[in-house]
Amino acid sequence: MSSKAASGNGDAKSAGKVGAIMVIGGGIGGMQASLDLANAGFKVYLVDKSSSIGGRMAQLDKTFPTNDCSMCTISPKLIEVDKHLNIDLVTYAEVEAIEGDVGNFTVRVRCKAKSVDYSRCTGCGLCQEKCPTKVDSEFEAAIGKRKAIYVPYPQAVPNKPVIDREHCLKFTKGKCGVCAKKCPTGAINYDDTDKVVEFNVGAIILAPGYDTVDARLKPEYGFGRYKNVITSLQYERLLSASGPTQGHIKRPSDGAVPHRIAWIQCVGSRDALCGNEYCSSVCCMYATKEAIMTAEHEKEAKCTIFFNDIRAFGKGFERYYIGAEKESGVRYIRGIVSTVREMQKTKNLLLKYVSDDGEIKEEEFDMVVLSVGLTPSKGTKELAKVAAIELDSHGYAATSTFQPNESSRPGVFVCGAFLAPMDIPETVMTASSAAAASAELVSSERGALAAHKEYPAEREIAEEEPRVGVFVCRCGTNIGRIVDVPKVVEYAKMLPHVKFATESLFTCSTDSTRGIADAIKEHNLNRVVVAACTPATHEPLFQETLREAGLNKFLFEMANIRNQCSWVHEDAALATAKSIDLVRMAVYRALQLEPIRQLESPVTQKALVIGGGLSGMTAALSLARQGFESYLVEKGDKLGGYLNRLHYTLEGDDVPKQVRELVDEVKKEQLIKVFANAEVTEFGGHIGNFHAAIKSNGKTEKIDIGAVIVATGAQEYQPTEYLYSKSPNVLTQLELEERIAKDPATLKNAKTIVMIQCVGSRDEEHVYCSRVCCGQAVKNALKLKELNPAMKIYVLHRDIRTYAAKELAYKKAREKGVLFLRYDTEHKPEVVQTNGKLSVRAQDVSIGAMLDIKPDMVVLSTGIVPHATNPELSSLLKVSLDRDGFYLEAHLKLRPLDFSSDGIFLCGLAHSPKYIEESIAQARGAASRAADVLSKQSLTVGGIVSVVEAEKCVACLTCVRVCPYGVPEFKEEEGVAYIEPAACHGCGICAAVCPNKAIQVRHYKDKQIIAKCEALYETAKT
Amino acid sequence: MIVGERKPLSEIREMLKGYKKVLVLGCRTCVAVCMAGGDKEVELLGSQLRIASKKDGDELEIVEDSVERQCDPEYIEPLKEKVEQCDAVLSMACGCGVQFMAERYVDTPVLPAINTNFIGVTESTGVWTERCAQCGNCVLHLTGGICPIARCSKSLLNGPCGGSHDGKCEIDPGVPCGWQLIYDRMAKLGLLEKLEEVIPPKDWTTSRDGGPRKIVREDVKV
Repeated sequence: MSSKAASGNGDAKSAGKVGAIMVIGGGIGGMQASLDLANAGFKVYLVDKSSSIGGRMAQLDKTFPTNDCSMCTISPKLIEVDKHLNIDLVTYAEVEAIEGDVGNFTVRVRCKAKSVDYSRCTGCGLCQEKCPTKVDSEFEAAIGKRKAIYVPYPQAVPNKPVIDREHCLKFTKGKCGVCAKKCPTGAINYDDTDKVVEFNVGAIILAPGYDTVDARLKPEYGFGRYKNVITSLQYERLLSASGPTQGHIKRPSDGAVPHRIAWIQCVGSRDALCGNEYCSSVCCMYATKEAIMTAEHEKEAKCTIFFNDIRAFGKGFERYYIGAEKESGVRYIRGIVSTVREMQKTKNLLLKYVSDDGEIKEEEFDMVVLSVGLTPSKGTKELAKVAAIELDSHGYAATSTFQPNESSRPGVFVCGAFLAPMDIPETVMTASSAAAASAELVSSERGALAAHKEYPAEREIAEEEPRVGVFVCRCGTNIGRIVDVPKVVEYAKMLPHVKFATESLFTCSTDSTRGIADAIKEHNLNRVVVAACTPATHEPLFQETLREAGLNKFLFEMANIRNQCSWVHEDAALATAKSIDLVRMAVYRALQLEPIRQLESPVTQKALVIGGGLSGMTAALSLARQGFESYLVEKGDKLGGYLNRLHYTLEGDDVPKQVRELVDEVKKEQLIKVFANAEVTEFGGHIGNFHAAIKSNGKTEKIDIGAVIVATGAQEYQPTEYLYSKSPNVLTQLELEERIAKDPATLKNAKTIVMIQCVGSRDEEHVYCSRVCCGQAVKNALKLKELNPAMKIYVLHRDIRTYAAKELAYKKAREKGVLFLRYDTEHKPEVVQTNGKLSVRAQDVSIGAMLDIKPDMVVLSTGIVPHATNPELSSLLKVSLDRDGFYLEAHLKLRPLDFSSDGIFLCGLAHSPKYIEESIAQARGAASRAADVLSKQSLTVGGIVSVVEAEKCVACLTCVRVCPYGVPEFKEEEGVAYIEPAACHGCGICAAVCPNKAIQVRHYKDKQIIAKCEALYETAKT
Repeated sequence: MIVGERKPLSEIREMLKGYKKVLVLGCRTCVAVCMAGGDKEVELLGSQLRIASKKDGDELEIVEDSVERQCDPEYIEPLKEKVEQCDAVLSMACGCGVQFMAERYVDTPVLPAINTNFIGVTESTGVWTERCAQCGNCVLHLTGGICPIARCSKSLLNGPCGGSHDGKCEIDPGVPCGWQLIYDRMAKLGLLEKLEEVIPPKDWTTSRDGGPRKIVREDVKV
């Protein structure tokens, strides 16, 4: 980290640095990195080789461990990227060359011929509807079809098609051309050619993501030969409501609903035969999720998962796994399937496996899902060559523990599944981290290339009578073919206060929006209603038009006559009548709309980082390199935290050296003010504008900050079991590590050592896996084997959870003769001491034998427990803790670094147990999130927020209790509740529960909603 | 605060039979806080009554209003005009509010829309529990701040009865035994020996047994 820092801040000859960053790969990782950077004032070019962004996450049905709908959570992000002024999407494009040097690269990108002119295309979808050619859809994992001109999925961004020239009849046979004939805007261009475009950027982030392993590599499972053997990705599409079966689980051979479904784990993972010796990290959990979702879809379903070890190591995973077994009735069988055979008549499948007790068994299933592993995505090798970066032996980006995002080429960063197989939240964390690393390099150029838009002054309309304009969209034929659009327009003209109504082919096209702006001026309109599609995608566009025409953007209302009308109804007359109702409702609400003046709230561009361990220091340093001051508060008298107790890593790092360098750098950094022996004693305010008091060595200092990072770490579990502290020869792994590092001679003569896993993890008190203990045990076992290869080492475990590349170390340990024996919770090992000699009685479940080991030493792999300060600090900061006592992020999948209270972020062990490289990535990621706030002079606040009418407030405190963000507070002086507009999310829960109707959400006031409802029941005057 | 609960709609409908125009009157103090009779409940009940009368085909006009407190004369005085226009007032206040309205507006029937349950606390949003039985002679200093009158189902003064099982009262396993609570609290305070002092039989004349109660403060009376 220190060496790279020099390139960030040190050689300040920043001449020639470019304030733009290229992100290659538009999956969730690439999107997160782009948003972080664009929000922090950089220009971003987001390049994706496919025709739309979204990547793998868009394909998934639900996500573990919350069962959130994947599309529902990613879709708002897609829209945010799409609408961002400072993100340029470069889709259907591939990088051909990266020249230049850190801070100033020239990237040559081949933009493949889309054959569609996007400046004309409105995304109406008519072309793909009429296209006669059907091809296997990549998005549907080949279990569904797409056309030769296609948008991969309905929510795709950009929502415009490309022509697949390999299959299009026009290109293969020179005929057809139906899309050009049908296109209402003349956007089809068969003569389109590839274009090579050069981009000048300061840093590059590679986020190419992953592919799944080709299941044909395991021919014994019959994928490709047996119809009812499918991959897990295909199963995701079967479960998905937008998939080819509309979410009905049907087996491919006959469309019947399968009841007995088997998952086979580790297909193409932990398997030298197919070249992937690493663990793919995510399959245990996605299989568990798929089984749970199956049980929800089909009450009759019986789900069985065949596995090696269940690797439920992430936050909330252990509970999820337990729930799958206990509540959803998922059957887990430890034992890998040797063969799958298809039964000729029924097309059912016969699975042969060795059960846990060593018996060979056969069982029949209706369908088999192969839990395919992850590999670096296709084309990664070429990308690495172009980027001139090194890959590891499995094709993942070569990085190091302490520089987890940095490739071998300065200025080129990597994130997501290109680093190692990882799940969504980790991808998001590493993406934010890569964004921070990039921003550190070019922070001097922040804002240099970012676009700002100026708008005309807003017209004052308070004294005006309402003058409404209604714009009805045909959406090509989407609306027009069912709804009688002219009739709707004529009806709208008769509604009260409507001064203008018209229709257009595409209201969202540039011409039409210009038409809206002109009409606003010409007819002096002060309310605008668009009857078209959904506000979820199009409201921002039309609001922009209002602003450009000098109207407040809240004077706008939409009627969704497409998604909620023409798309779902077949009777033209009834659909027209419904459109008329929807338009009338929209107009009546528009009459009640009020302009909302948003305010600029100044930002204090400094951060408070709580915790001076690895995460806290990393976050503060990243902020400093990005040019932001921070206060670093450490509870103890020295920096370093938990890291001070580690000496080496599985990857061979010298930890104490790294700590020294890190601490030195923090101390030298002028933008970091360190408080030792310190704690936060007061805290208040809101995003951009917090204030706190720090008590350090008896003195209290008051500070103002704009953002807060919680990096308070965690603690080692203090065991009470296995004779710990009763025998000098019972140690914890950390104590052993210290002896290996400082006093190896005392260990050399030990003949036998027993390590016991899951001490203070995965038990009734700690319903979570501490994630690092398996790796820690393997690490120390290997070190002991180095000291004395003849030493006998037993590791007593429940599952070995050495995920990703740590699996290779596990394999190495086994090769070196370390014995891994499995116990279960009913047969926990017993440690006894007689005459100073230890003995361990343990049952090895897999061979059923009872062992009596006489070790020289017993080493306990103790878990990580939440920090004792968590309850107090969390209530001071008004942030939440999870059920296990760790800090709870805003969203387990997509907002792993944010608290639900805006402006407060978390990282490191405070969030959950994790390895060094993960803490670093998270800490730098948290710095990236904080920089989004700190990079702004001010924040726009007070749009759609809740407002308390003080006279009506009865001070019942209900709003204070129900707000999920902890925003409402009771003002002692006034005796009423107050809701800070800068902090309010506008969710409206308080307004709904207020027993005295003292709270209203702006733009969704009762009168505005009621006007709409009353309009619905008024008969149409046709 | 006084905690109440709205009566079922069917009962209210029955009460209103024959009236054509009714004032639904909320109270913005105790019953607003316990979510039984504030502005929101007035609007909800008003809407329910309108829908119900439309559905049943009877004529019923609903007028909605709320006052700060129905138990203070100044707040209910301005309602005069509205009350006179209506056939009946449906008060969403506690029993005091209903009666005070009835005393002021003698010519108009005033009907209760809520049941007044107890004097209690908000344990959390949506959960209210009784704490005080208004006996008029407080003994909380003797019982660790836990009221034996309100919290013991039998209002015993000197320890639990035989119906105390595993800390719960025999009337319902969900109800903690008041005396168990007192014992635990006193133990925590290190004051268990105080429980050995016998509390003499209570003089219930300060409670309901002495008839309707009245307080006159000469020093503040005007």
